[in-house]
Amino acid sequence: MKHYLFLHWQSARIALVKILRQPVGSLLSLAMLSVAMALPLSLYLTVMSVQDWVGKLTATPQITLFMEQSAEEADIAAVGSALKHHPRVKGYTFVSKKQALTDLEKRNGLNGLTEGLDANPLPDAFVVTPTSLEPKQLELLQKELSGLPMVEEAQFDASWAKRLYGMVDLGKHLTLFLALALGVALVLITHNTIRMQILARRDEIEVSKLIGATDSFIRRPFLYHALWQGLLAGLVAWGLTSWLVAVANPAIAEFAQLYNEQVELRGLAPLELALVLAGAVLLAMLGARLAADHHLRRVSAS
Amino acid sequence: MIQFDQVTKRYPGGIDALKNLSFGIETGEMVFLAGHSGAGKSTLLKLISGLERATTGNVMVSGHNLSKLRRSQLPFVRQHIGVVFQDHKILFDRNVFDNVMLPLDIIGFDRREAARRVRAALDKVGLLGKEKVMPIRLSGGEQQRLCIARAVVHRPAVLIADEPSANLDRAYALDIMELFKSFHQVGVTVLISAHDETLMEDYGRRILRLKEGQFTA
Ligand SMILES: Nc1ncnc2c1ncn2[C@@H]1O[C@H](COP(=O)(O)OP(=O)(O)O)[C@@H](O)[C@H]1O
Ligand SMILES: [Mg+2]
Repeated sequence: MKHYLFLHWQSARIALVKILRQPVGSLLSLAMLSVAMALPLSLYLTVMSVQDWVGKLTATPQITLFMEQSAEEADIAAVGSALKHHPRVKGYTFVSKKQALTDLEKRNGLNGLTEGLDANPLPDAFVVTPTSLEPKQLELLQKELSGLPMVEEAQFDASWAKRLYGMVDLGKHLTLFLALALGVALVLITHNTIRMQILARRDEIEVSKLIGATDSFIRRPFLYHALWQGLLAGLVAWGLTSWLVAVANPAIAEFAQLYNEQVELRGLAPLELALVLAGAVLLAMLGARLAADHHLRRVSAS
Repeated sequence: MIQFDQVTKRYPGGIDALKNLSFGIETGEMVFLAGHSGAGKSTLLKLISGLERATTGNVMVSGHNLSKLRRSQLPFVRQHIGVVFQDHKILFDRNVFDNVMLPLDIIGFDRREAARRVRAALDKVGLLGKEKVMPIRLSGGEQQRLCIARAVVHRPAVLIADEPSANLDRAYALDIMELFKSFHQVGVTVLISAHDETLMEDYGRRILRLKEGQFTA
C-alpha cells in the first residue's frame, strides 16, 4: 500500500515538474482556464453580496401611509387608533405635513422652499412597523392599510428591495448558466491539452503497452497533469477574483455612501474555495480521462 | 513452460499465419525458431507474449491459458516475459538508461533498486559506459544490446527474441547469440527466431522450423 502511494506520488510529482518545465504552453492553457473560471466566480460573489445587502435592507421593513390632502384632524385620529389596535402593527409614528416640510427644508438646506406655493404640498403620514417580516404578510397588511378611510396610499418601503430580490434571482440563474457553460469549456480545454500530449507521446505509449503497461498506468501521468492544471487554474481564478474584489470594493463603498448604504463585495469563504478547487480538479480529470480513453484505444499494441 | 495446443492464427483478411500448431518448450530450455520471411515466426512469438491472440486452440505460458485470459489481464502476462522486438521499439527521446528503466517503471519498482538493476543489465550487455548516451548515437549492434538489456532488466523467466541477429554482421551476431546463451545458463527459458539457420546449427539446440504456418521436419 505504501509502495502504491509512493508510485502515485511519483507520477504526481513528475506531472507537476513537466508542467513547470514548459512555462509557455502551460501558462497559456492555465490562463485560459483560470479566466474561464474567474468569470462565473466574480458574478457569483457579486450576486451573493447583493443578496446579503438586500437581506439586511428588508430585515426591518416599514410601511408608510400617506393621507389625502383633504384629511382632517378627526380622520388622522381615526387612522391612528385603527393602527393602535391592529394586531399586525407593532408600532407607528405620525409625521405631520408641517413636520415633513421642516424636515425637508432642513435636510436640503433650503429655507423658504414653499414661499411661492399657496399651501404645503406634502401629505400627513404614518410610518408603520409591522409585526411579521414575512413578504406575503407584509403585502396583505399593505393592502389592508391602504383601504383605511382617507388614506391615499400605503407604500411598502422595501418594495423596490423586492424588485432587487428578483434581480438577484436572475443573477443566480445567470451564474449557474455561466458556470455550467464554463464547466463544459474546462472539460473541453483539458481534453484538448491531454489529446496533444498523448499524440506527442505516441511512441512511448505504444512501447509501454508492448512491454506490459496497464491502461491505468498509461493514463496516470495524464490524469495527474489534469489534476495539477485544474488545481492551479482554480487557485489562479481565486487570486483573480480576490484581486477584483479588492479593487472594486472602495469604489462600491464610495458609491453606496451617497445613498447612506454600506455595500461590500465579499471574497470566497474557505468552504466555497474548497468546492471550487474540487470541482475544477474533477472536471479537468474528466476531460483528461475522456481524451485518454479515446486516444489510447487508437494506439495499438494488441 | 510454453505449450501450444492446436493453435491457429487467422489475421483479418483471411490469412492463416499459423495452422493447427502443437508443441511445447520446457522450463529452462533454449529453442530456435527458423523459417523464411512470412513463415509465421513473429506471429508465433506474439501469441506467447500476449500481443496477439489465437483464433482457435490454447496457448499456455507458465501455467496461464492466454486464450482464456481477459484482455485486461494480458499486461500482467507481458510483465513476466522479456521480449526483444524485431523492430527494436527503442525510444529515441530518452537516453540508454531511461530506455532500460521503462519496464521497471511499469512494474512499479522502487527507484533506487530499479537503478541498480538497470546498471546490472547494462553491464551484462556491455553498455554500462553508455548509460547517458542517446540511442541514436549507438551502432546497430549496440542498439540490439540495448533492446536485450530492456528485455532482461526485470529478470523474466521467459526471454523471446524476434530475429535479434538480423542486419548484424556474423561476428556481432555470434556475440549476441552468446549473450542469449548466458541467460539460458542461469535458468531463463529462451526462444530465438531467425531466418538464417547457419547461426543456430553451432549450438546444438532444438530447432523448430516453420513454413507457411506449419512445422517442417
Ligand atoms: N497484422 C497482420 N495483419 C494481417 N496479416 C499479417 C499481420 N501480421 C502478419 N501477417 C501475415 O501473416 C503471415 C506471417 O507473418 P509473420 O508472422 O510476420 O512472419 P515472419 O515473422 O516469419 O516473417 C504473413 O503472410 C504476413 O503477411
Ligand atoms: Mg517476423
